[in-house]
Amino acid sequence: MVDDTDDTDDANGTATGGDGDVHRIVLTWPDGEDETLRVAGDETILDAAERADLGLPFGCLTGACATCTAHLEAGEVVHERPPRALKAHHREDDYVLCCIARPRSDCRLRVGASVQRELVSNPWK
Amino acid sequence: MSDADDSSTDTHAHDHDHHDGPGYSTPQAAIEESTPEKLAYVMGLYVGTDVDAPDFLGVVDVDPDSETYCEVVDRVEMPNRGDELHHFGWNACSSSCHMDGLERQHLVIPGQRSSRIHVVDATDRRNPELAHVIEPEEVFEYDLSAPHTVHCVPDGKMVLSMLGDADGELPGGFLELNDDFEIAGRWDPPGEIEMNYDYWYQPRRNVMISSEWAAPKTYYPGFDMEDVEAGNYGRKLHVWNWEEGTVKQTLDLGEEGMIPLEVRFLHSPVSTHGFVGAALSSNVFHFYERDGTYHADKVIDVESREHDDWDMPVPGLVTDLLVSMDDRYLFFSNWLHGDVRMYDVSDPDNPRLADRIWAGGNFGPRHPIEGERAVHGGPQMLQLSLDGERLYWTTSLFSSWDEQFYPDEGAEGSVMLKADVDPRRGTMELDEEFLVDFGEMPHGPARAHEIRWPDGDCTSDVWS
Repeated sequence: MVDDTDDTDDANGTATGGDGDVHRIVLTWPDGEDETLRVAGDETILDAAERADLGLPFGCLTGACATCTAHLEAGEVVHERPPRALKAHHREDDYVLCCIARPRSDCRLRVGASVQRELVSNPWK
Repeated sequence: MSDADDSSTDTHAHDHDHHDGPGYSTPQAAIEESTPEKLAYVMGLYVGTDVDAPDFLGVVDVDPDSETYCEVVDRVEMPNRGDELHHFGWNACSSSCHMDGLERQHLVIPGQRSSRIHVVDATDRRNPELAHVIEPEEVFEYDLSAPHTVHCVPDGKMVLSMLGDADGELPGGFLELNDDFEIAGRWDPPGEIEMNYDYWYQPRRNVMISSEWAAPKTYYPGFDMEDVEAGNYGRKLHVWNWEEGTVKQTLDLGEEGMIPLEVRFLHSPVSTHGFVGAALSSNVFHFYERDGTYHADKVIDVESREHDDWDMPVPGLVTDLLVSMDDRYLFFSNWLHGDVRMYDVSDPDNPRLADRIWAGGNFGPRHPIEGERAVHGGPQMLQLSLDGERLYWTTSLFSSWDEQFYPDEGAEGSVMLKADVDPRRGTMELDEEFLVDFGEMPHGPARAHEIRWPDGDCTSDVWS
């Protein structure tokens, strides 16, 4: 789940601090590949993936563009600033933005460029 | 790194026979004095794909006498991934043609998603080099993000349209760079506009017109009809007092003018006429000044078409347009339909369809050139030779929008195609000997977006 209340310290329901723990994060790609990272609570999923040289897609790094969208399959994360690129129904469906998402537990995330495509479809087709 | 060693020049002296600055003294001089383009600069993109590589400036060989014709002969990789290179511009153009010592030497290349601004030194036209980077944090300090259009302005400075604030929300605005490629500040007072996109200025008439896309947080993730219904997409043109940097008039194009994108004044420096394409409504508007105010009339209406595989009629999606240097022809692309059109605009109130080419898209041939690779996206970013005889285009619109409408565009990469144009007869024909395949890049298939010539083109040069 995306917990926007844990460790909340501003009016947007986002968190700026860490929880002091290091979490086990499993990233899975559509081709079945997976990688496991150790991510501190004050680190974003993207920063940890960059540190591990995993090449996740990203764009604005401010939560506005959704290029780094992942689907949270298990576990809990908080966004360190408002995830503006995600609509309410995306958040309810457990889509998260790796560039601003910090773990609050061990997590499993579905990643890769194709996840972003799930946010919108062709409206005329 | 200034390209303006001598700024003590009277930019208002219009001696058309003698100038030592960049560009050409008049639009007609550009037609007469230019030689056929041999290189093209094209934005190449990996953002939003699983290719672990940065976007790049591609140098494309367009010289038919060269052994590397139709090849990407050099790539300037950006220092970071995730930029979404999109539009770009020169540090100087014909608007500074009387500014001795200033040269068209540096390309200013923004990252649409990253808000990072790159400066590339193109002194060696075939082997340009990255010279300077303005990091996103420096841009965010001015509460702006999402840089789009780059125009140089007559005194050696550059002005960039910025589509959002530092959070990717509204309002956008304009950012000014000095001739050392440092941020000089905001060009406009905050609050003049909400949405922003493209702009064009006509300094002799002290006017600039800007258009509207949406807030970055709205268009970045992709196109959602819910946002259209909520009024989150633009439909206005803003008419600015160019010297004061303030909006003097706003034109609401209404339901038929949804998402007005590229703005093109005619090239003649005295003209107050121009065109803008309303992408979503798939209409072209003619704007003009009369009795001291600007007006905009719909002059071309692209009808939606039924398609067996679509539930709703397919809009054309007029995503780019340009005006030939002689101001006689308007070219525009219907990205979803798959055609590029050529209109006679010698009477700008009444454009006349002269010719069109179908290539890719939802209604054009998947293989416009027999025996060559498939073309997925329709014609998109256009560029015309200065003499008006060769029209080129690429097929990618925007990474996330490509994924919605042409998912194969990212998987297989874009193409660059070309038509031979006869501006006397008003005809054009696809050149079946020309195809640049961005699917065959060293790191994998790339998207291709805006095209520029090394020495001025129909979508960047302005005359003061």
